[in-house]
Amino acid sequence: MQAIELILRRVVLMIVILFAVSFLTFLIVHVLPGDVANAILGDLATPDQVELVRQRMGLNEPVLLRYWHWVTAFASGDFGMSLAYNTPIAPLVFERLANSVILALISLAVAVPISVALGVLAAMYQGSIIDRIITGTVVLFFALPEYVVALMLILIFSIWLGWLPGSSLIPPGGSVLANFPAIVLPVTVVTVGMLAYLSQVTRASMVAALRANYVRTADLKGLPGYIVVVKHALRNAMLPALVEIGLNFGYTLGGLVIVETVFSYAGIGQLLMMAVQSRDIPTIQAVVIVIAAAYGIGNLIADVISIALNPKLRT
Amino acid sequence: MKRDAGFVLSAIFLIVIFVLVAFGSLIAPYSATEFSPSSSLLPPQFPFIFGTDEFGRDVFSRILSGASFTLLPALAAAALGVSLGTITGLVAGYLGGRGDEIIMRLMDVLLSFPALILAMLIVVMLGGNVVNVVLAIGVVFWPRSARLVRSAAMDIALSEFIDAARARGESTLYILIRELLPNLWAFIIVDFALRCSYGILLTASLSYLGIGVHPPTPAWGLMVKDAQQYIQFAPWLVFFPCLAIALISICTVLFGEYIRRQLATPTRIARA
Repeated sequence: MQAIELILRRVVLMIVILFAVSFLTFLIVHVLPGDVANAILGDLATPDQVELVRQRMGLNEPVLLRYWHWVTAFASGDFGMSLAYNTPIAPLVFERLANSVILALISLAVAVPISVALGVLAAMYQGSIIDRIITGTVVLFFALPEYVVALMLILIFSIWLGWLPGSSLIPPGGSVLANFPAIVLPVTVVTVGMLAYLSQVTRASMVAALRANYVRTADLKGLPGYIVVVKHALRNAMLPALVEIGLNFGYTLGGLVIVETVFSYAGIGQLLMMAVQSRDIPTIQAVVIVIAAAYGIGNLIADVISIALNPKLRT
Repeated sequence: MKRDAGFVLSAIFLIVIFVLVAFGSLIAPYSATEFSPSSSLLPPQFPFIFGTDEFGRDVFSRILSGASFTLLPALAAAALGVSLGTITGLVAGYLGGRGDEIIMRLMDVLLSFPALILAMLIVVMLGGNVVNVVLAIGVVFWPRSARLVRSAAMDIALSEFIDAARARGESTLYILIRELLPNLWAFIIVDFALRCSYGILLTASLSYLGIGVHPPTPAWGLMVKDAQQYIQFAPWLVFFPCLAIALISICTVLFGEYIRRQLATPTRIARA
């Protein structure tokens, strides 16, 4: 019961944080010195135009009342109208979000086994040349902005070798999975970004696990090395690693803006960029909150997994 | 103090880079912004060793002149974020209780935004200029630094010399600044070094998205963004700014790692 209570508390905490996030987003958009109407119209707007936009968007009402209207509509799935596309925002956002989640999940499916393998290898041969090469390479890639990695991959694999398409434009209505070659490069870039972090986390918790007494016992009673590593050490080391994977998922969704922009991939990050370029404030607001919510849910899943896997909390 | 090759190399590179930031536009052989249509889109050759762009501007000169547009905002933002975080973390960690709870929950709200998204949102709403980029990245770093300083401050707040100061009747402000802060410098410096490398990543990413900088500013991210449409037949336009960004990022990360090893490890051993 302890575990369920903990999970419920995390869920409540997440809902509270989401409210706070929506309020903060609202404040940033509506209370900071830059006026929304001005931000939409640009610097050349006449006072009459500004006033018209203010009225149409209900900007002349008190701030708290506006927040209330907006957040209740938002919670019921009405995200408002996009100024750039003149269509409801909600379907647009969810279609793009689905594409982003597909990209993130495929990358995760590639990154997790590789980074666990790398982390375990580095931990087993700690301090050796293998460890140094793995850790060094991973830190090197971690230090690079995603678009640098992405453009170098495009230069090599699509321009020089011509093996893969350099952009991931998917025809309207076409599914992402049907255009598999188009997403190989974006998946690679996201995977490289994840590898650094995940393999370092796996390595750190494996190093700790390999030092534990139960591993020494297993070793001393004559179990073969690989069984000690896989069944004893890795099992215990996976808990902190799994939490990091959950955290990483939300982080990845946020970081997709760059990758999606480089490859023109129709995900939520690219929607955000298009909204920014066309000063489509209602869409910016909606996308930011949906990304923050996805981030929060990623953290929540990580918490739930760690609670579920923690034997101390089992009843 | 063991010096490894990575450290020496990155230190040398960083010195070169700082010279570039200070004197880049003076060293640059050509103007970073002036058009010369007669020499547009030339591949790397003498005297344009990195080639020229679609307006005939020398890419090498633009990279030299642009160093400061990537590095200075990153350093300023790291300084701002670490200062805010240090003040908040000190107060929260020392006070504890209700005040700590409120401050850290507010920090949690800031932390619920992915870093790049929050920075984008703030710059877009405040207006795209360098000052707002610094502000936005500073705000992004704030809760992250606050968490770190807070946990260190909480440990140290339990020490006997803090009790002694309290028993002497010192004011809270005195204890925070004269007793706690001097013991936190190692953490703060390590944090600052880390924030600098993240700051460069974030600044370069924002400028690639075209947020906060405008043409013809030779910011490296913006150069990459504008060059991407020519990647088929003028790959050097993409390659050299990317190389500059990659070198700087790797050097700052290596340098930060080195500082972390030098400063953080002894503290940890001493505390264990």
